[in-house]
Amino acid sequence: MEEVSEIVVGLLVLVLGLTGLVMASGALDNGIYIFGLTLAGFAVVFEIGLIKAHYDRKERIARGGAAGHV
Amino acid sequence: MEERLVMSDITMGAMAGHAVPHARAVVYNDNVIRKFTIATMFWAAVAMLVGVVLALQLCWPAFNLGFSFTNFGRLRPVHTSGAIFAFGGSALFATSFYIVQRTCRARLWGGEALHNFIFWGYQTFIVMAALSYVMGYSRGQEYSEPEWHLTIFLVIIWVAYAIVFIGTVLMREEPHIYVSNWFFMAFILTVAVLVLGNNAAVPLSMYSAKGYTAYSGVTNALIQWWYGHNAVGFFLTAAFLGMMYYFIPKQAGRPVYSYRLSVVHFWSLVFMYIWAGPHHLHYTALPDWTQTLGMVFSIMLWMPSWGGMINGLMTLSGAWDKLRTDPGLRFSVTAVGFYGMSTFEGPVMSIRSVNALAHYTDWVVGHVHSGALGWVAFITFGAMYYLVPVLWNRKGMYSHKLMAWHYWIATLGIVLYITALWVAGIMQGLMWRAYDQFGFLQYSFSESVNAVHPYYVIRMVGGLCFLTGTLIMIYNLIMTVHSSTTERQPAVAGE
Repeated sequence: MEEVSEIVVGLLVLVLGLTGLVMASGALDNGIYIFGLTLAGFAVVFEIGLIKAHYDRKERIARGGAAGHV
Repeated sequence: MEERLVMSDITMGAMAGHAVPHARAVVYNDNVIRKFTIATMFWAAVAMLVGVVLALQLCWPAFNLGFSFTNFGRLRPVHTSGAIFAFGGSALFATSFYIVQRTCRARLWGGEALHNFIFWGYQTFIVMAALSYVMGYSRGQEYSEPEWHLTIFLVIIWVAYAIVFIGTVLMREEPHIYVSNWFFMAFILTVAVLVLGNNAAVPLSMYSAKGYTAYSGVTNALIQWWYGHNAVGFFLTAAFLGMMYYFIPKQAGRPVYSYRLSVVHFWSLVFMYIWAGPHHLHYTALPDWTQTLGMVFSIMLWMPSWGGMINGLMTLSGAWDKLRTDPGLRFSVTAVGFYGMSTFEGPVMSIRSVNALAHYTDWVVGHVHSGALGWVAFITFGAMYYLVPVLWNRKGMYSHKLMAWHYWIATLGIVLYITALWVAGIMQGLMWRAYDQFGFLQYSFSESVNAVHPYYVIRMVGGLCFLTGTLIMIYNLIMTVHSSTTERQPAVAGE
């Protein structure tokens, strides 16, 4: 479940981040410009968090711990 | 990683009179609940601080500071959305995720990545919405200010929330669905429908933050108040009732007084609330029969509301003494009292002839705050005082004395707030309708503004008291988590 969740959510956030970049690139006002950049920034930080959580879990399993949750 | 036997929690299925077949270890995801708990208290401080600033601006306009982004019109939606969606919303995410896992004996469905997406996505939405308001972007419709792009982002998060919550209910190992979960599911589904319906808009362009509402004229007004009143009914009432039906029995150590009444409460409330919105549009271009329909359903709401209130209060049968020793329970029970009071006052104000006096006055603002502070905030505070020691595995709260101080300061604040606005509001209403012997209006509008000034100052002091109490609570919660005095002692061998 955790791996599937990471892939699905990771793809969803990737699409959101790219959409944010497209919106910021063509923004006609400050509202969309800030929204687009924030969305892209959110996506980058969230994806890094996902990657970190993924490898933290792998390490825990390798050390003999449960495939549990932070 | 949290591993607990659900049977050590008072099983809500047993409370509902259902047999509990067996106890099995379940790994709960409390991590996301802890995050939402921290967010709840953070946004409580922010929303209430902005509220006090707004109250100061109403007393002394110099507090607008002369900047566009600090003026009353832009800060007001930051306060209302901050209190309802940031503080209240975070509290509902935290408690609904806590309750659904315990009462279903199932881990939150969907994986931790999805839960984290809901948390961080919702917080990002709140920050972006608040930022857009102070920048001057708004749909101009109450509680529904976010422009189209923010609405779409919120809908994505909300769908994820619905998937996780309903998925957990579907994967439950407890055969019975506890009544709190019914309230939460009604809240999740109805809010989704309301936002999709009311926020329907045509954007100028994909690259523009401005969108025009899909409805016009009185149709737009009707749909706005169908949304607005049910935001109160399902976000601020039904969902917090879910909180009440779990935490009051837990705090009191008693089962719900009448589980059957709680189910009747649920179905009658959700059926009636959805029709009550038009009472916000008395004496407008809305057809008379529609206004009357809204008024009648509002009056009918007395029945489920008071049934629920009595059910909440009677749950303390045999445990009233705990009010002396448990300030957390005192918050929850006082909240139920305020729930009864504001759900009595609301239908009274919806009666057309009473509304003729009350509408557009500060009585309405006082009514909203008796519900928001007395009911929503107090039931949340009671839940947070229960949750924090449990979630951080502490033996209890850091200071019961500070909890008691919080309770009395906050209660004093509410009393000052609502009594001042009762007087101010009724006075405004009477001044606006007063005629002299020649048939002219007796008072100008500015005279009514001058007349309410002292009451605005009292309201500001009440808000300041409430904010002070919240800051005391935050200090107490932080100390509960970090102080060595609240650490659990390891069990001594042989005991």
